[in-house]
Amino acid sequence: MSFGSRIRNALGASAPTVLLVAGMAAAQAQSAASPERLELCATCHGPGGNSKTEKIPSLAGQPEFFLLNSLVLIREGVRKVEPMEPFMKDMKDDEIQALATYFAAQKPERTDEPIDRAQAQRGAQLADPRHCTSCHKPDLSGEQTAPRLAGQRADYILDALRAYRDNTRLGGDPAMSSAAQGLSDADIVALANYAASK
Amino acid sequence: MLMSAMHFRFAALLAAGLVMAPGIASAQQPAVPDVAKQAERSKQSPNLRGVPISPIAAGADKLPISRFKLPPGFSVEVWQAGIAGARTMLLGPKGTMFVGTQGLGRVYAIVTRDGKHEVKTIAHGLNMPNGLAMKDGALIVVANKNVYRFDNIEDNLDNPKPVDISEKFNLPGDRSHGWRYVAFGPDGKLYIPVGAPCNICEPNYNTHSHIRRYDADGANMEIIAKGVRNTVGFDWHPVTGELWFTDNGRDWAGNEGPEDEFNRLPKGKEGAFFGFPYCHANGIADPDIKRPDACKDVILPAVTTGPHSASLGVHWYTGDMFPAEYKNAAFIARRGSWNRDRKFGSDLAVVRVAGNGMGKATLTPFMTGLLDEQRNEHMVRLVLPYQMPDGSLLVSDEQNGAIYRITYKSQRAAVTQH
Repeated sequence: MSFGSRIRNALGASAPTVLLVAGMAAAQAQSAASPERLELCATCHGPGGNSKTEKIPSLAGQPEFFLLNSLVLIREGVRKVEPMEPFMKDMKDDEIQALATYFAAQKPERTDEPIDRAQAQRGAQLADPRHCTSCHKPDLSGEQTAPRLAGQRADYILDALRAYRDNTRLGGDPAMSSAAQGLSDADIVALANYAASK
Repeated sequence: MLMSAMHFRFAALLAAGLVMAPGIASAQQPAVPDVAKQAERSKQSPNLRGVPISPIAAGADKLPISRFKLPPGFSVEVWQAGIAGARTMLLGPKGTMFVGTQGLGRVYAIVTRDGKHEVKTIAHGLNMPNGLAMKDGALIVVANKNVYRFDNIEDNLDNPKPVDISEKFNLPGDRSHGWRYVAFGPDGKLYIPVGAPCNICEPNYNTHSHIRRYDADGANMEIIAKGVRNTVGFDWHPVTGELWFTDNGRDWAGNEGPEDEFNRLPKGKEGAFFGFPYCHANGIADPDIKRPDACKDVILPAVTTGPHSASLGVHWYTGDMFPAEYKNAAFIARRGSWNRDRKFGSDLAVVRVAGNGMGKATLTPFMTGLLDEQRNEHMVRLVLPYQMPDGSLLVSDEQNGAIYRITYKSQRAAVTQH
């Protein structure tokens, strides 16, 4: 990644962003997510943010702060998620806030992938000593910066955990990079089944 | 019980920064101590953890300045709102105010035109760009292990061109205490701290837990203070020219301490030892990492700055606007505690030093009312006080993405005018 693409205006593609003090209050106004935008999100993340798409995470019922923080950091280029970049690059704070509010309020459905019960059971045993529930909560519903894992797509968790372990998830939560250290591929499969089964 | 003990243990590990980021070439990976035992011993609530900072700035109308309390004659106003994650401030010679952030990864430039501020984002996507310094018109941004130089920046705010000079500085990339406050000293050297990569561990002093200085181009690195856990603010005394720096005390050793520190590096003592991890605050031996005579040959702080107060930015006041008692006094932003059951800190404090900077140091809270005691919540998180040419004092609030301006007007003058 060249520096030039990182050093560009955060809120505008080319013109310098000028935020006047008077404009700030308006930028904070709470507004609802637009139907057009939600339809676009649903293309991959599923209706109401319950994903039926391979390796695409569900957003429904995620903690609002997690959604807000993740979307802002993706826009800023701190967290690198290439497929999201074209959608995020010009998005304003108030629209991000509206999306976070919307998806946090949606009812999460468990993934429709087949769950391997034996793997899930083994995953639960692995999760215990790694204290996953400290941040993700005992029911894995997530809190603040820690996302909901309960019912999340297993194929997404699989990829995410691998990337955390291999330190290729740029801009991800550093605490998770540490938490995933030393996991074998088999462990990750078990943990993904455990989370997805909850 | 089991669940709560486990819950608390990992939260503790994460919050204390004990869990190491992987893939980082650290000369010495500290062993992870048993935080569960530490916290049980320290009698602290299992649920203490860091408070996340909002990635979106609060609106100007949402800032709680009406609740701030200042000594008579002082007042505070919003200097700039809407700058998410605002931390470090640095005024360029042509009047541009540069503002660095931490997690948000942005660097801002605020220019004043026709009395109005314009905020530009001149860099984003950086790794904790908290370190800003200026030399010969170039802005230097230190972002974890990366160092970028923006030549002639104030004439190129709409087209900033960074030069990556990281390699010469060879800084460690640990995320734990990996955000850096940096500054040029009166000697023209660039001072860069490297914190301990942990809450409590035995670091390698050649790579961590110290303050170092370089020539502006990254040559001639020297370690000038060792045994420093994590300093996020320092400044040179206006009379003595000595370096004074804050240092944040360890976590999970009790609600009451060890207290944070404000340290003086005496002239001629470059390379001196400040105690971490064996000796904390005003002479407290560490309960986990022990050595005989824990505080032997340790420079103790000039003044302690409160338990878990998160004492960050420092600025020695040299202006003419404030009363004489503030001349050559240090303002310290206390960002406020997380590892304490009753929140503490969350103010702007002032430290006065007797004997022209050589005598006893005393700390007094200066701007208070920043903590909602009823809800046990910080309303703001101050990071750095910064003196403006007119003698007013700016202070940054990371939580709300704002900068406040403190001014003074003699009450006697005000009375005689009426």
